[in-house]
Formats: sequence, structure tokens, C-alpha cells
Amino acid sequence: MTATVRASEAAPATPQHVASTLAGTGPMVRFVVRRNRVRLAVWFVVLVGMFAYIATYYKELFPTQQSLDDFAALSDTPGIRALTGLSAAADTLGGAVWTKGWMTIALSLAIGVAFLVTRNGRADEEVGRTELLRSRMLGVHAYSAASWLVQGLLCVAVGLGIAALSAANGLDPAGTGVAGSFVLGASVAGVGLFGLGVGAVAGQVASTSRGANALASAVIIGFYVVRMIGDLGSGALTWASPIGWGEYMQPYAGNRWWPFVLLLVLAGVLLAVATRIESTRDHGAGLRAERPGPAGAPQRLASPLGLGLRLQRGPILGWSIAVVLAGLLFGSIIDAMTTLLDDAGGGADDLLRGSGVQALLALLAGMIALVTAIFATQQAVSLRTEEASGIIEPQLAGAVSRTSWTLQRLAIPVVGSAVLLLVGGGLLGAVYGSVVGDSSQAATMAGAALVYWPAVMVLVGVAVALFGWLPRLAVPLTWGLLAAMWFAAMLGDVFGLPQWLLDGLPFSAVPYLPLEPMSWTPVAVLTFLACALVWTGIDRFSRRDVQPG
Amino acid sequence: MSSNAMALQVEGLEKSFGTVHALRGLDLAVPTGQVTGFLGPNGSGKTTTIRILLGLLRSDGGRATLLGGDPWTDAVALHRRIAYVPGDVTLWPNLTGGQAIDILCRLSGPLDPARKKAMLDRFELDPTKKARTYSKGNRQKVALVAALASDAELLLLDEPTSGLDPLMEAAFTESIREVKADGRSVLLSSHIFSEVERLADRVTIIRDGVTVESGTIAELRHLTRTQVTTVLDGGTDGLATLAGVHDLTVVDGRVTFAVDDAELPHVLSAVAALHPRILEANPPSLEALFLRHYGDELAALSGGSQR
Repeated sequence: MTATVRASEAAPATPQHVASTLAGTGPMVRFVVRRNRVRLAVWFVVLVGMFAYIATYYKELFPTQQSLDDFAALSDTPGIRALTGLSAAADTLGGAVWTKGWMTIALSLAIGVAFLVTRNGRADEEVGRTELLRSRMLGVHAYSAASWLVQGLLCVAVGLGIAALSAANGLDPAGTGVAGSFVLGASVAGVGLFGLGVGAVAGQVASTSRGANALASAVIIGFYVVRMIGDLGSGALTWASPIGWGEYMQPYAGNRWWPFVLLLVLAGVLLAVATRIESTRDHGAGLRAERPGPAGAPQRLASPLGLGLRLQRGPILGWSIAVVLAGLLFGSIIDAMTTLLDDAGGGADDLLRGSGVQALLALLAGMIALVTAIFATQQAVSLRTEEASGIIEPQLAGAVSRTSWTLQRLAIPVVGSAVLLLVGGGLLGAVYGSVVGDSSQAATMAGAALVYWPAVMVLVGVAVALFGWLPRLAVPLTWGLLAAMWFAAMLGDVFGLPQWLLDGLPFSAVPYLPLEPMSWTPVAVLTFLACALVWTGIDRFSRRDVQPG
Repeated sequence: MSSNAMALQVEGLEKSFGTVHALRGLDLAVPTGQVTGFLGPNGSGKTTTIRILLGLLRSDGGRATLLGGDPWTDAVALHRRIAYVPGDVTLWPNLTGGQAIDILCRLSGPLDPARKKAMLDRFELDPTKKARTYSKGNRQKVALVAALASDAELLLLDEPTSGLDPLMEAAFTESIREVKADGRSVLLSSHIFSEVERLADRVTIIRDGVTVESGTIAELRHLTRTQVTTVLDGGTDGLATLAGVHDLTVVDGRVTFAVDDAELPHVLSAVAALHPRILEANPPSLEALFLRHYGDELAALSGGSQR
């Protein structure tokens, strides 16, 4: 039977005493801090450090008002508006720093906090650790409350750290005191607290940690896209997104405090909802009760490919929906921005690598490729997660060779990403084409996205090679490399990374269609590299011990 | 011995994990159609041996032959003919038990729905529940049903009854007897002496990665001592110094001692001469044999001086 631990009450009609539901929160706070001290420190140092670096670097880079004015003019492109939003005071030092760093830092904090909430909530409950704790003198909400408190304090600490750095670097425009610095810190902390609320509710609704993380990141990224469309259009949709609220606080320009109140209220409501669910549900259960399933499995599930497709059904569906929606949304907003593009002038921009519709199309194709890359990496990493959990052993104890198992499982990211790129790019082009009356856009954009396929395969290859050679480190290293590439692409210029390195990253090496002409050399090199990485990984895996844990 | 007389034969098997020597020259055999018990304390190398036999680990030395093939190079072909039950069963949390059973069976060959049904009934397992809702015993049952529903020539069972209740242990015993009656072979790694004594034809006892005792149960019984308890009217004169008598103690007139099986006739006639009023003799158990091999560890644990 499923392990169901409930406090003494029989029905929700007789609630537990409010005070007793929080019994033991104090010791749990110390426990959460102890168990997460490295993670908490890393998140704090990375986010605050990133801000410190951008601030000092930009201070040096833009010593005069003229240079700031030039930068503001260059920044006013649809690409910047879409990715990070644009400061209303872009011609001040603070505004320039905000434009470069705010979205990345706030979004990272929101997602990071949501993941931390899952780690100290649903993940522990799923594997049964919480059950042991709850058998002690511990209220229903004590562990959750302690975790929320600690992660909430992380948000506040990051916000204060950034505010202090901003003030110390004199980012506020002359004569405004340090008000902008504090609005900035509050806007980052507020978006982080929104992520905390989303993570808390997701951890109550989903019955698995994977489900909770997927739900939380989907909600947060969904709101990021909502504000992206808002920023590219009239701005109305930006108000529909809590990330947009943080954006509208506009430190150094508007210095608005009241969206921060909105964020606090929203976080409070979300935490209240999570608490409400937690007080009525069974330990170990999500919102939906477990239902009986089929008593047998068809033959197709007994091949590694069939089983893989079944086990990864959720992620495959989720990422497909994400790519389809992205294609449809991106395609529908391009034309609305033509006027914006005309006004922007001909200044070349780092991110867009050019201007005009072609540059925007190329950027959006790249974003679809990025989403596809996360899907492909997740699928490739699942090779190792299955080995680590031990679930690979009964499969290999069947009549399946390791090479066959690996190749069949790799078919999902290999074929899947090609399909996602074609569909995402094709839809983007088709929708855009239908607006401007150019039916050839579907094929053009499908090609522009598909050209990223070898780059995505290099990431898959990295995951497989690490799976073969360094199984115990494969999962964190693979994700770490993906994150490092992302940061290098976003902030590489700020950190002074050499240009050859930035150009050599798989995603930068791909020809930037349709802005640039097609070039086969990088495609061939990346394909070869991907094949070599996959080959060495599989070869090593078929020679080494299976290593669980 | 030829390979078809032995379903499984391991000689001098070695395996290291970094600086840890898990196996240092282990020997093990399962004659075709027989059940071999595989005994050893935690961490002695039982699971490592079985994982080498499954081709999950690669041995560093020695020889292992499984159904006439090499467990590493012929893994796929061999896995059609074997079934495996791990000691700690991991399942796909979002699939049902029934789905897991079908997937495991079909990975090795065709599924026999009638046998699956029979085993589900025997082990009283609900196949429509999601694996994440199963208790440890129920997860164990999933692996057992999948293994026993197959036609495998050789069953590799790693502590297969851990977590099962006594009724289910009885069902397991019945199933293994059926497997044996079919002429199929079983390697049964276990902690439960009574289970091994009940089912096994042969026993291999290992310690620190080395085989310390191996043979039929009858052969092994000769290696150990019968425990005798008696009340003697004629005193214990000379009994303690008799060849084959060990650890003689007298408490409240009750005399207890151990006798080497080989010396039993002489000792019993000496006891008879001392007018025994009560005589109790316990045949050597596998447990006693096991404890004798690990006795020094027990002594170290209790801080005592006896060996």
C-alpha cells in the first residue's frame, strides 16, 4: 500500500490547530539552511557577482554621456526589447546596466528559487524523506514554511546585494539619491518571490519533483514570453505578466514602487494557496489521485525506443507544445514590428547581428533552436539518469545490447529535435508569410531553424560523451556546459571572452539564416563533431561498468 | 566438467572498484537443474558477482561461464535465456506493475499471458497500480512475477524474498520447486538460512569476495558440529577431554557441548556410559556453519575472547 501519513484528524472538517501545523519550523529553518548552504551561496554569488561585473565593466566602457547616448540608440531594437526589455532611461549608466542584466538576473532568480522549493519540498516527499521527518514533532506546514522562508530570504538578500552594489557604483542618475538602486533591488527580489510562489504551488499540485519543476518553469517562462510579446507590441500584455510588473518598476527612470506591492501580494496569494492545498491533501499525493492503469503493456513498449517514448511522453508533449506556441506567437508579431524596425535606424546591434526583418527572423529562429536544444539535452541526459536510478539494469538484463539501447534512446533527441526545428521554424514562417502574403516564408524559416540541428546534435554528443566517460558527473556537467554557453552568448562581450571562442560556440557557428547566406562548412564540421562525440560516448559505455547512483 | 552439466561456473573471479577489492578469486557453480544457495554477509560480494554474471560489470580477472557463454561478450544472447530478480527493485514510477512485468518479460522473449496471470494470482499482486504507490514487498513481487512468468533456463535471484511476508515466501518456495522440477537452474543469493536449506541442493558461502565453503548441504553438514545438551547422573568425568568434544559447560546440572560429526559414535557411547537422563542433539544448521565462518567477526563485535 502507499505510505500515507496523516496527522490525527479524520476529515478536513476538523482542522489541526493552526499553531501546531507550524510546530518545529525553527529547527527546520536551520535544517534547510544547512542542507542548501552551498546552493544558496552559489546562487547569491553568481547573481550578485554578475551584476557587480556588468556594473563595473559598463562604468569603464561608457565614461561619457555621448557614449551612453550612442549605446541607448544602438539598444533600441526589437531584439533587445524582446529579450531583455529596454530601460526608459537607457541613456544613463544605470539604465544601460539594467538593460543588459536585469532580465537575466531576475529570471534566473525566479527559476532558481522555484527549483530550490521543489528540492526541499516535493522531491523529498517523493522519495520518502519527509515521511521520516513528519513522524517527529513537526507540523504539516513546518518544512514548507521553513523552506519558503529561507528561499524568500535568498530573494531579499540578492535584492539587497544588488541595491547596495548599484548605490556603491553610483548607477543612479545625478540628483536622484539612491532611490533607483533600491527600486532595482526590490524589482529583482519581487520577481524572485513570484518564482517562490509559483514553485510552492507547483510543488503542491504535482506529485513528482520532475512534474513540479516542469510546471514551475513552464509558468515562469510562459510569463516571460507574455511580456516579450507585450514589449514588442503596445505594452498591454506586459501588464499581464508578473515579470512585466518587475520590468515596469523602471529603476533610475520611473522608480515605481507600486508594482512591487503587486508582486508581494501575488507571492502571498500563491503561498496561501499552496498552504491551503497542503493542509487538505494526503502526504505523498498531488492534487490528482492516482488512478489504476493498464494491467499489461503492448509489445512496442518492450523496445528501448518504445519504452523511452512512453517514459518521456510528458516532456516530449510539453516541449512540442512550447515550440508550436513559440512558432505561432513569434510569427504573428513580426509584421507588427515593422514600423518599430523602420524607426530604429540602421545601427548594427550585437544581439541581432544586424537590423531589419531578416535579422529579427534570424533571431527568432535561433530562439526556437534554443528551446529545442534544451529538449534534446534533457533527453540525452536521461541516459545517465536512468543508469543512476538503477532502472537501466532490468533493461540490460533483457536481451538488449548497450549500443542498441543507447542508439534507440538517442533516436528521440536526434529525430525529435529535427522535427521540432522544422515545425517551429515552419510555423513561424507560415504565420509571418500569411500576414505579409509570402508563402515561401514557411520553407525559408523551416530551413533557417533546421540549420541549427547539427549544433543541437553537438550538445547531444557532449551529453553522450560525458555519459560514457564521466558518468557520475555527466548530468551536472552537461547542464553546466549548456548554461555556460548560454551565458557566454548573452554576456560574453561583458566578460571579455575572446571573440574566437564566442564565434566557435555551436550556436554562434551556425549560419545566421535568413540574414546571412547559407554556409556548409560549419554545418559539416558540427555534424562531424556531433557524430564523433556520440560515437566515443557509446563506445565507452559499451566497455565500462554500469554505475548506479 | 562440461558446460552443459553446469548452468553457471565461476572460477577465480576478481573485481576491484578503485582501491576496494570486492572480489578476490571467487568460485561458484550452479549445476544444471539444481538450486545453488549463495550465502555471505552484507558487502561480501554477492551482488557484485551477480552483476558480473549479467554483464553489467566487467570482471578484472578469473573466468565466468553462463549457459556455455561469456557473460560480457555474449550478454544479449544469454539474456534471452536467463531471468533476474534484483534485491532492491527499481521500477518506472509512472508505469503500472503490470506494464513493468510485460516490458521486462518481452525484453527477453515472448510473453506467456497465462503464466503471468497465474503468478499474479499466486503472489496476490494488483497489476493496475502505479509503481510509485507500491510498497517494497510489492515491488519485489513485480520482479518475481516477471522472472517466474518466463521460460528462463537460469534464474539469478539476488535476495529475492526481501520484503515479502511469510505467505509470499511460501509462494516463492513453491515456485522455485516448480522451476527445479522443470529441470531449470537457480542461483539463490540469500540471508535466510531456512530458505536456502529448504530449497538449495548446493551452497556456496563467501566472505570478503572469496569462497570459503562450497558443496552439497549434506557435505557441508559434515564440516560442522552437532550441539548436544544432556543431564548426566554419572557426572561428566573425562567427557571434556574426549576427542571431538568442544566447549563443554555445566549449568545447573545441564551439560552442553559440541561434537565433531566424525566423532559422534565414540562420544555418544561415552555419554551412554554416564547414564544420561535427558539427551537432546541438534543437527548442524547452515546458520551454525555460517556463524562458524564469521565467528571471529562476531567475537570482535561482542568484544569477547572466544573464537
